[in-house]
Amino acid sequence: MAGADVAESKSHEKGKKRKKKRLAIRIDMTPMVDVVLLLLTFFMLTTVFSKPQTMELNLPPDSDIRVEVAATTLLIIRVAPNMDIYWNMGNEPTALKKITFKELRPLLAERFHNIPKLITLVQIDRAAKYSDMVDIIDELNLANITRFSIAPLKDLDKKLISKVAG
Amino acid sequence: MPKHKKKRLGVRIDMTPMVDVVLLLLTFFMMTTQFKAPEDVEVIIPSSHSEFKLPESNIMMVYVTKEGKTFLGVDSQGLMEKLFGKEARYKRAIEVDKSILGNTLIQARINNPKLRTVVKGDKDAPYGPMEDVMDVLVKAQITRFNLVTDLERGV
Repeated sequence: MAGADVAESKSHEKGKKRKKKRLAIRIDMTPMVDVVLLLLTFFMLTTVFSKPQTMELNLPPDSDIRVEVAATTLLIIRVAPNMDIYWNMGNEPTALKKITFKELRPLLAERFHNIPKLITLVQIDRAAKYSDMVDIIDELNLANITRFSIAPLKDLDKKLISKVAG
Repeated sequence: MPKHKKKRLGVRIDMTPMVDVVLLLLTFFMMTTQFKAPEDVEVIIPSSHSEFKLPESNIMMVYVTKEGKTFLGVDSQGLMEKLFGKEARYKRAIEVDKSILGNTLIQARINNPKLRTVVKGDKDAPYGPMEDVMDVLVKAQITRFNLVTDLERGV
């Protein structure tokens, strides 16, 4: 213990001189800290962590193989420009019913609940908007309907729509 | 008076740990920040409820603008040069006519089979060109692709 004490006091004495030297190279870090904090706030405010979302779409391959679908499980949704939506079941091809976009979600839920094997065919007019397609597919995804296909809206379909629309 | 002086000395704080943390944070943000390059094609994307994130790399982006024009871009500069020539190296996307889009897509996929196809269409784009693009994609055996959308909150 005593030895240690002596050693300590010795080092203390030596340290005094050294401490003085050390004090001489003390730098004021305040400006650096200021700048660093400024940079930090800049990077924190400009960083965007969010990455774009995507919606995955699976289309059937382009082949001549025709898949037979029971007409009773087929739901056809036709979309005219201005987001006019018409739907019918496959077994009643001319009984088109017009609904609004808001009514689509309950309809899909009800159909999917009654017919678990539901297959949906979406036909969109070329003059419609791309966002309409995204909205409709989004609704299908929300209703957990994974089995859907997209087909072009043919003249025949347009005639059917114009008949209903009057 | 001496009592007052002692009190003043008492509120001196050692800032070293704070500065350490701040510097760490700073380096983190500086390393992770990626500045967005100006887009060659301006597209306002529609919104959906899908929460699937866009993959980071190996992306082949097909743009469909409001006017119905199609652009194609890949995320590697080397492949851009290979597909579209030297001037295209530093561009994000090049206008590609629908008639040759299919061939270009196939070429890109031959060069990098890992490429994932992503379609970025403008909200106000007509559906017609989009239908053509999807037709081309299916013909090029790309039956699975992603549509870029904004996240829509609420119902």
